[in-house]
Amino acid sequence: MIPLASPNSKEASGMITEILPRNSKLSRPAPVPGQRVFEQVIVSNADLIVPVFSAANPTPKWGLLDRYLVSAEAAGLPALIVINKLDLAWKNPTLDEELEIYRRIGYPIVLVSAIDGGGIEELKGALQGKLSVFVGKSGVGKTSLLNAIQPGLGLRVKAVGNGEVGKGRHTTTHLEMFALDFGGALVDTPGMREFGLWNITAEELADLFPEMAGHVGQCKFGLSCQHDREPGCAIRKAVMAGTVSPYRYQSYMRLREEL
Amino acid sequence: MRTLPASFGDFRCAHCRMIVSSAHVLSGVNNRNHCPYCLWSCHLDLFSAGDRLSACKAPMTPVGLTMKKGRNKYQRLENHRPRGELMLIHECTDCQTLSINRIAADDDSASVLAVFENSLTLTPRIQARCREYGILILNSADHEIVQVQLYGCCAEIPALSWT
Repeated sequence: MIPLASPNSKEASGMITEILPRNSKLSRPAPVPGQRVFEQVIVSNADLIVPVFSAANPTPKWGLLDRYLVSAEAAGLPALIVINKLDLAWKNPTLDEELEIYRRIGYPIVLVSAIDGGGIEELKGALQGKLSVFVGKSGVGKTSLLNAIQPGLGLRVKAVGNGEVGKGRHTTTHLEMFALDFGGALVDTPGMREFGLWNITAEELADLFPEMAGHVGQCKFGLSCQHDREPGCAIRKAVMAGTVSPYRYQSYMRLREEL
Repeated sequence: MRTLPASFGDFRCAHCRMIVSSAHVLSGVNNRNHCPYCLWSCHLDLFSAGDRLSACKAPMTPVGLTMKKGRNKYQRLENHRPRGELMLIHECTDCQTLSINRIAADDDSASVLAVFENSLTLTPRIQARCREYGILILNSADHEIVQVQLYGCCAEIPALSWT
């Protein structure tokens, strides 16, 4: 992160005067096919990761949310789940049930509607005084939310496609940080279709699922347990006992296969 | 000579160690549920077939046969012809969960018949579990139905002679 000194604010130009130390970072593998994989730092020194999903159009991809949450845990950053398009929640009858999984783990959730302003004040309260970053797939309404939080920015937004799924149209194409009038700053990011895990090993993955972390090393296989088919695995027992969601466990297994 | 294309998801049966193809052209089903040779399965599904949400993953043993529930629940014969579809009942060897599964096109008929014959002496515990799940196990009175479903005739199938 770098502070800019602007000799002439009217021209919106500036000069790098210092490079601040990097205290935290949110990264992913750069999605460039056919090339050596390298780290793409999305944001550094953030205080809060805000995965944004929409209640419908497009429907939430919970596997993608798990990726954001794991990356936030790996970066040591708190996460705030935001569900936008609350006005379309009637199209998604299972939304409450699915969100309950994350509520039980302890992740804070804010339900908002950028269209009618519902939940915006609550969101502003959660963002106040922090450097937050909006992440999410295209079309969930990240930039619309920013416009609703801070009217007057006039950022360009577009409606999602007309298809049944409601895919976004990648309206925001660059990453930008905006100072918030009520304190703090918000980084708006372009929609991310892919979000791989960077610098996370298979052995540490279970520790990044907060509800599973307490069960790691609790069976006879100790820290070498793969949590797959080992008899008596504590994590699998917790899933069967209902303390860990089977959907989150399935998500864990899918992510583990990638590592 | 035409050969079957290698299909995604082929596996080695954890019970009998035979290699099992998941090719739809062989099994006639979209999700291979059990080994076609020994008929053992694996406890992978939780809420619905193919969801792969179960964390149990223990082997499931075939314990008996039932008929697929139809509009007329468990109707078995219509004009002396079997109606519906034979289904395998599996029991998880770890958590004792019961599940009902379709018989695949390439399931070994002799193994299916053996499961039926063994199920005639089921332990009271499994019988009680089936009642609890609302599963009607085929019994000795259903021998004809099983024969017709598997072999298309009621007569005993003569053993093949290779000499």
